[in-house]
Amino acid sequence: MTRKGKRLLWITPVAAMLAVCLVQCAFLVRYPYFRKYAAQNGISLREARKAWGHPSKESEWAFGLAVEASRENWDKVSALAAQDRRAEIGTYYYNLSNAMKGQLADKLMDYYQPFERGLFLPVGERSTPFKIACAGDVWFALGYMPLAERDAMLGMLFSPAHTGPRYLRRLAETNLVTGDYEAASKYLRILLNSPDERQWALERFPDRWSPSYQLRIAEKRNLAPQFDLVHGMDQAQIILRILLSSNPTNKMALDYLLCYDLLTKDLDAFVGDYDPSLTSSRLYEEAMLIFLAAKGGMSQDNFAHYHISGPVLQRFNRFVTIYRQDNGAARNLTADFADSYWYYFYFAVKNEKD
Amino acid sequence: MKRIDVICRILLLTCLLLSCGRSYDVRPAGPGTDRTSFLFPDYQDVTIPCNIAPLNFYYTDPAGSAFRTVFSAGGVSITIKGREVVWKEKDWTRLLAAAAGSDITVTSSGRSGGHPVDRQWVIHVERDRIDPFLTYRLIEPGFEVWDELEIQERNLENFETRNISDWRHTGNRCMNCHIHAQGRGDLSMFYVRGKDGGAILNRNGVLRKLELRDSAMISSTVYGEIHPDCRFGVFSTNIIIPAMHSAGGRRMEVFDTKSDLCVADFDRNRMLTFPETARADVFETFPAFSADGRYVYYCAAPARQLPAEIDRMMYSLVRIPFDAETGTLGAPADTVWSAAERGKSVCHPKASPDGRWLLFTVADYGTFPINHRECDLCMMDLSTGTLIDLSAVNADKSDTYHSWSSDGKWFAFASKRGDGLFGKPYFSHVSPDGTVTKPFVLPQKNPHFYDNMLRSFNVPDLGNAPVGFDAQTVGELLKDAAAEPFE
Repeated sequence: MTRKGKRLLWITPVAAMLAVCLVQCAFLVRYPYFRKYAAQNGISLREARKAWGHPSKESEWAFGLAVEASRENWDKVSALAAQDRRAEIGTYYYNLSNAMKGQLADKLMDYYQPFERGLFLPVGERSTPFKIACAGDVWFALGYMPLAERDAMLGMLFSPAHTGPRYLRRLAETNLVTGDYEAASKYLRILLNSPDERQWALERFPDRWSPSYQLRIAEKRNLAPQFDLVHGMDQAQIILRILLSSNPTNKMALDYLLCYDLLTKDLDAFVGDYDPSLTSSRLYEEAMLIFLAAKGGMSQDNFAHYHISGPVLQRFNRFVTIYRQDNGAARNLTADFADSYWYYFYFAVKNEKD
Repeated sequence: MKRIDVICRILLLTCLLLSCGRSYDVRPAGPGTDRTSFLFPDYQDVTIPCNIAPLNFYYTDPAGSAFRTVFSAGGVSITIKGREVVWKEKDWTRLLAAAAGSDITVTSSGRSGGHPVDRQWVIHVERDRIDPFLTYRLIEPGFEVWDELEIQERNLENFETRNISDWRHTGNRCMNCHIHAQGRGDLSMFYVRGKDGGAILNRNGVLRKLELRDSAMISSTVYGEIHPDCRFGVFSTNIIIPAMHSAGGRRMEVFDTKSDLCVADFDRNRMLTFPETARADVFETFPAFSADGRYVYYCAAPARQLPAEIDRMMYSLVRIPFDAETGTLGAPADTVWSAAERGKSVCHPKASPDGRWLLFTVADYGTFPINHRECDLCMMDLSTGTLIDLSAVNADKSDTYHSWSSDGKWFAFASKRGDGLFGKPYFSHVSPDGTVTKPFVLPQKNPHFYDNMLRSFNVPDLGNAPVGFDAQTVGELLKDAAAEPFE
C-alpha cells in the first residue's frame, strides 16, 4: 500500500468520528434540555430518542420547563413559560412559577388558561407519561405529599427505564418531609450508588442536613394536613380545603383553590372559599363583582368588605355597558378586557374533547 | 504495533481497576432506616427448609471492614470473607445437608470503627421441605395502574426464575395474581383483564380462558379459590374504588362499594349465585374453601357509606357450608371471628391443605391491607378454634397475601417490613404444636437485589410443582381463543 493509501486508511475513520462528534455536539447545543431530561430519567441519548423520538422545538421547550421546575429555578421557568405556546404544560408551569412568587392570581388572566387543567395536570388513562411525570410538582410545592409521592411513583412507572433520579429524588424528599426515613433510605441508597447523584443523596441523610435544608423540610412539614381524610384520586378542591383547614395561612393553597373555583367558573364555591382578609388580587375583585351584580349585592358595604377598588368597579361598569350594547358579543371587549376575569367568565369555552 | 499493544494494556488495566474499585455503598443503615440489623437480609435465628437456595447476604455497617463469616454444622465448616456473603452452590448444599434438623452456627467477625467485632448467631434448618415453586406478580406500587407486569415462577431450591405470563405476551394488559389450589402446580389460575382477556384456568397443564361473569353479577369475578375436587371455584364480585389518605402514611386506600359471592362450575360453564351471599346490605368478599371442600370461609361486613365511614368498615370472618355435588352455598353463615367483638377487620382467609390451620390478615379497618402498617397475620387452630401467637412472624409493616405449602407445614406471605413500600416474600414454618418460626425473606443471588428492587412481589403463592405453561402459551391463548362464556 502506498503512503497516501495508508494515510487515507486512518484519516477516513478519524474524520468520520469527528463528524459524528460534531453532529452530536450540535445536537446537544440545540437540545440541551432533551439531554438533561434524559439524564433525569436515567437513560442515554440513544434510549431517549427511542422512547420520545427526535426532539422538536416544542418538546425541547416542554423538557426545559420540567427540568427547571424540578430544580426549582422558578425564574427560568417563568422565562421559558413566557414563550406562550398555548399548551397545558406551559400554563401549568407558568401558574406554578407565579404561585411560587405569590403572583398566581395577579397573573392568571395574562396567559392561556385551559380551565383547571392549567392548575393541575390530570392523571388518568389519557394522560401522557410526560405530563404524569410533571403532575406532582404542584402538589410538592403546595405541601401535599400523598399526591406528590403518587405522581412521582406513576411518573417512574411510565418512564422509559422505570427509574431515574428525577423520581427517586422526589420520592426520597416526600418521605423525608413526612418523616418516613425508612422509606426515604431506600431511595437515598439507590441515589448514593449513582455517581452523579451521590452528593445530593449524602446531603439528604437526616444527620447531614444543612440549616437551609432543615428549614426547607420544616416549611414543608408546616404545610402538611393535620388530619386524615380519605378522598378520591384527583379531587383537587377537597385536597386544597384539607390543606387549608390544617393550615389557614397556606396562601399558595388558598390562591390555588380560589383560582380553581374561578377557572371552573364556580362562583358559588369561590365566594364560599374567599376571605378578603387572607388574600387579595384584582382577579378576586373582578370575580366578586360578577357575583354581586348577579345577586343584587352591588352596595358600598359589599365593595368595602370585599376590598373592591374604585378603578376596578369603574372598569367593570364599562365592561357591562359594552357587553350589553353588543348583545353579549366579544368583538369590542377583546382589546381592553381580554386580561380580565369578566372576559374569561363570559367567553372562555372549554374544549370538551380534552 | 508496539504502541497499540501498550494502549490495549492500559485500557485493560483501567477496565480492571474500575471493575474492582466499584463497591456498593450500603448507607444509610442503622436505627430509623430500612436496614436496622447488622446484616441484610436479616437471616439471624430464622428457620429455613432443607431444600432452600443459598442465603446470600451482606453486612450493613458502613464503617465495617475485614468481614469474616464462619458457618458450622454437623462437622462441616465453611468460611467466607468479605462484606458480601455469596455462596458457591455446592458449598451451601453440603452445609445444608449436614445441618438438616439442627442448627447452623454462624460467627460474624470483623472490625467496626477500628474495633474488633464478633457476633454469633444461628440458622435453624428444618427437615420439612418447602414446596419448591413460588409464583408472584411483580408490580410497581402504582395506585391501580400498571405497566410491564410480570408473573414469575421462582424455583426456591436455586435462583432460577421464569415468566409464566408477562406484558410482552399480553399486550401490556393488567394481570391479577396467580394462585395455586392447595399448593398444586397442576391446578391454578389468574386473570388477564381487558379486551380478549379472561380468567386463565390451569387444570393438569391444560389452559382455558373463561369469562367468569353472567348478566346478574355486579362485576366480573375478582378474588377466589378453586375447590379441591377441581370442578368448582368460589369467587367474589366487587365494585372496587381506589382512594387516597391525606395523612397517616397509609397512602392509598381501596374499598368496595358492593361485593357478593358466586360459584363457578368449570365443567358446565355456569355461574351460581345465592341469596345468602348476594345481599345488598352486606359486603361479602375473599372466599376460600376449607381443606376438605365442605365449607367456604369468607369476609362479611354490614354495608356502609363509603368513604365517609371507612374507618368503621370492619369485616368478620364467617363460614358457610358448601355442597361439592351441586356447587351450592348453604346457609346460614357461622361467625368464626367477630369484627364487632374484636374491633378489627379481617381479610384473605386461607385454610392449610392439611385442614389444621386457617391463616388470615387483620387490620384496623377496611379490605385492602397492603398499605396498613398495622396489618398482621393471624392464625387459627381449626381443631380447637384458638388463635396462635404469631408475634415471631409479624412486623411493624403490612404482612399479608399469604399462601400455604401443599403439606401445610410452611406458609409464604408478602411483607413490607423495612422500607414499608415494597412487598417481599417471606416464609415461616409451622410445627404440629402450632409453633411458628421467625420468617426469612426469599434468598437472591445478588445480596443487594432488594436494595435496587423497585417492584413489589405481589401474592407470593407456593406450588409443589411447576405450572405447566409459560408466558408464550398464555399469549397464544389470549390471541387465538375466545373466552368461554358462563351463564
